[in-house]
Amino acid sequence: METTIAFNEKTRSEVYWANVTDMLSQAINGEIVGMSNFAMLTGTIDDVHEMFECVEHSNCERSHAEGFMHMAKKYDLPVIINQDGYYWRAVREVFKKWANAKDYIGCIIIQEVILECFAVSLYKDVGHALHDHEIGQLFLAISKEEEEHIEHSIDLLKAELEKDRDGFLKKVEAVHYDCMTILAEMTASKDLKGHCGICGGSCMKDSLYSTNVELKLLRGNALNLYMRTLDRIGIPGVMSLEWVANLPS
Amino acid sequence: MNFALIGHQDNWDKIMSFMNYFSNGQNKTEPDKVKEIFSFIPPRKLFDIEVRSVQGQLATGCYIETFISPDELMFGYWKINVEKVREAAKYVRAQGAGIAALGGFTSIVLEGRDNSLNEDSNSKFTTGNTLTAAFIVKSIEKACKKFQKELSSQRILIIGATGDIGSGCVHYFSGKVDKLLLCARQNGALQELAHQLESKGLSVTASMDVNSLLPEADVIIAIANSAIENFDSRFCKPDVIICDAGYPKNLIEKVDGSMSNRLFSGGMGHIAGEYVCKPDIMNKLYPFPLPKIGHGCLLEAIVLSFCNNYVPFSTGKGNITSEKIELIYSLAREHGITEAPFFNSEKVWD
Repeated sequence: METTIAFNEKTRSEVYWANVTDMLSQAINGEIVGMSNFAMLTGTIDDVHEMFECVEHSNCERSHAEGFMHMAKKYDLPVIINQDGYYWRAVREVFKKWANAKDYIGCIIIQEVILECFAVSLYKDVGHALHDHEIGQLFLAISKEEEEHIEHSIDLLKAELEKDRDGFLKKVEAVHYDCMTILAEMTASKDLKGHCGICGGSCMKDSLYSTNVELKLLRGNALNLYMRTLDRIGIPGVMSLEWVANLPS
Repeated sequence: MNFALIGHQDNWDKIMSFMNYFSNGQNKTEPDKVKEIFSFIPPRKLFDIEVRSVQGQLATGCYIETFISPDELMFGYWKINVEKVREAAKYVRAQGAGIAALGGFTSIVLEGRDNSLNEDSNSKFTTGNTLTAAFIVKSIEKACKKFQKELSSQRILIIGATGDIGSGCVHYFSGKVDKLLLCARQNGALQELAHQLESKGLSVTASMDVNSLLPEADVIIAIANSAIENFDSRFCKPDVIICDAGYPKNLIEKVDGSMSNRLFSGGMGHIAGEYVCKPDIMNKLYPFPLPKIGHGCLLEAIVLSFCNNYVPFSTGKGNITSEKIELIYSLAREHGITEAPFFNSEKVWD
């Protein structure tokens, strides 16, 4: 197995490794945002057990970030950590807005539904594309772990829907437009907001061909998982269809 | 909920129309953007349907869109499309619908040997093909009367003769018409069918080449779109009656203007009672020139609901008999559901 990897590393092009580096950079920045979000979430919670769980989730995201950083170091890939990059900063600011309003449910929707759905799906697709390399295996393993965060939120959000259907639906809609709009811009075919501040060179989307990743599939699969998750929570299908139809591309 | 229809769209214009409806006018969706995401959308209910029989019975149901892309209806996407239909079926079960019809391309899941959709399931699934076939054959009889043609002296061409609906039409017209002209893509099945009919003493010509059969045809029933790719209306008799029962119904694009007075959309039914969709987007998906028109497959599920008889009435391939056609047709009529007036995408000419 190691021989195969060594052989592939030598034969793979520079553009391939630049693309993998950008993928790792995006993942590390995303995980750091997740870590900070979970840490911030503790401030919106009164229940001490929920608080413990948030810290645990935060720690989990930290270990994911460290895992990706370890890979980058091992293969000497110059990842960029920049929490001021346009998209990740925007995600962080949206989360802060809901956390400052002490809206625990709003924060959960952002972190455990929207961001985790994207993470699970993107990591899975990238992992499959890089499946013959341990970096790909790491993406797949972390994708599996992130799935648990989605599961964690579903029963809680179902209960919220039961409690106050109209209020909850309005909240999910507001959070969707706040946060999904940013992720939709981030995964749009064109770089709608200029350079993300994370990629090493030009936009990584232009060189996805080198890793056999298709942007349309990445984006589509992520939206698919997001809509399925909303379905499981009990959001009416036509409502999420309308929300998704209104996303920028 | 009594019934559901699982369906898909046959062109991007319809898709744009309903996606723009759902985007609420906030952001007029662009075709390229919709094409990028459409097939990734999981199956979901788009609208509710309420139907009241002329006898006063109420049946409630819904339309479930599979989000199968019109560009992905070919064999290469078979597995992924079947999965989408199965997922839509799960949704039907979750809604507790008694019966669901599988419209258009989705019926492939029930037309094979695999009937697992109906096993251990409280909701039952039908292709709805028997009532579709019934509306086709009854409309042909009506058209012959209208144009004063004796059915027994007609030569009827069935394009897609070996398919489920096509073979149902073949069985129905066997012995009732002068000659059957059969066209299908799969030569083996076509020749076998022709041989079976000939052994009963019936007059039959079978060919994979539709144009070789057109000059003889007094009536054409076109069910398989793939077999009409080379359809050349110059070979048709000038007074030919054409029933376009394919999906999509695009044969009108292949005939010259004068023939459109004798070309109608086949397999469609009309509801004399109440028929309401909420939200009212049925006309965006199926812009019929007349109100209260529905596809035979959907109407079969509705008729079975009215009869409180939730059975997989139409499954497998080649099981549509004349007796089944008459049975479902008479049940439909009892509830005020009959073959639709003659119309095509250009006009109503009933």
